[in-house]
Amino acid sequence: MKVTVCIGSSCHIKGSRQVVEQLQNLIAEHDLKDKVELGGTFCMGKCQQGVCVMADDQFFSVTPESTKEFFEENILKKL
Amino acid sequence: MNDLCADIGYRSINHVGEQLCGDHVDVVEQGENSMVIVLADGLGSGVKASILSTLTSKIISTMMAEGLGLEDCVSTIAATLPVCSVRGVAYSTFSILHLIDNEIAEIIQYDNPMAILIRNEVNYDYPKTEMTIGGKKIYKSVIKLQEGDIFILMSDGCPHAGIGTAYNFGWKREDIITYMEAQAPAGYTAKTLSTILVDECDRLYDHKPGDDTTACVVRIRKRVPMNLLFGPPSNRDDNDRMMSLFFSKEGKHIVCGGTTSTIAAKYLHKPLKTTLKFEASDVPPIAEIEGVDLVTEGVITVNKVLEYAQDYLQDNESYEQWAFKNDGASQISRLLFEEATDINFYVGRAINPAHQNPDLPITFSIKMNLVKDLSECLKKMGKRIKVSYF
Repeated sequence: MKVTVCIGSSCHIKGSRQVVEQLQNLIAEHDLKDKVELGGTFCMGKCQQGVCVMADDQFFSVTPESTKEFFEENILKKL
Repeated sequence: MNDLCADIGYRSINHVGEQLCGDHVDVVEQGENSMVIVLADGLGSGVKASILSTLTSKIISTMMAEGLGLEDCVSTIAATLPVCSVRGVAYSTFSILHLIDNEIAEIIQYDNPMAILIRNEVNYDYPKTEMTIGGKKIYKSVIKLQEGDIFILMSDGCPHAGIGTAYNFGWKREDIITYMEAQAPAGYTAKTLSTILVDECDRLYDHKPGDDTTACVVRIRKRVPMNLLFGPPSNRDDNDRMMSLFFSKEGKHIVCGGTTSTIAAKYLHKPLKTTLKFEASDVPPIAEIEGVDLVTEGVITVNKVLEYAQDYLQDNESYEQWAFKNDGASQISRLLFEEATDINFYVGRAINPAHQNPDLPITFSIKMNLVKDLSECLKKMGKRIKVSYF
């Protein structure tokens, strides 16, 4: 699975750094390095809904607080 | 004409307990390629010295830049400076460095420590002619400029550093030369060199300077152009025009902004590779496009660069941050402050709809002000700036 997090200006201010760090930790915790590819991208054009995250071809709006939930619902379950 | 230019930087520390500096440096440009740099040291310290040195440097630099002769400048100063009520004299020493067409340097010195010239990384003992103007003994030298020449003008606070504490007779000029020769090969900017010298004086004074201490460094270097692209054009149809103008320019290319870098990548038919390496907590990570020297995020990064630029012009304290870190803002700072001499800004005026959100601290006007403020700062660093809007 490919997970892309926006690191553009808006999402950065909304906490994309924390989202990335949490995802990195969660992926390491669950030993999913081979299965989940985490990447960054600049603006996805949906700044209002930031932090913007794409999991494969699906768009998600994530906050630092909801990162864990997002990971469990949309990454763990779909693998 | 040649492709040399001058990188000028200075730093002062005040006599212990004083809020004003009695030394003053003034730089006046005289057309495109000539300039007059004056370092004046007013008698005493504090307000009085500050007024004397400010007047002296302002009068000399303005008059010289307007093409008036040295005799006129000196006699004007003698006639206009307010007379000190304690000592009964109007007095301020000065060093003048007059760069003519970036080919010749004229050094005129009155009672300041002799300016140092480091050429090819060693001290160059330039010839001096003694002359008397209005009863003052003045030394004049004419030197042909070479790339890499480093001129160091000082107030007497420098050689007096450490008197009675670190050294019996202060920090001798020869020792200052040895110290600065060692810094020469590192390729530091003039500002950094002057900071290194004055910081060492401050250390020798045990952080309680017995005199105002100023060093002004002028480094002769080759012109280096640099281009920075910031923001997409207000009209989409201008994308290609903006990109082709930007990429056709000589020198390195920096692209700032998410959407902007996407447009640049599309224009170059190369993939945009983002990284997730957060080097400094407050700046988003950089990206890569083949053919572009540096790709960064926009407003937040440029805002950080502006902070560094403002500090560079004042205390130069964040040098340790941007000089060594690898985040986008530090890299831009190194390219703009240290490497570049001529900077072309290509600024797109597109309004990012996502930024017009009351929750976000980035608005269109902030972006435009960033460019304005940053180019002001860079101009003060002696860079030539051209801003084109799209």
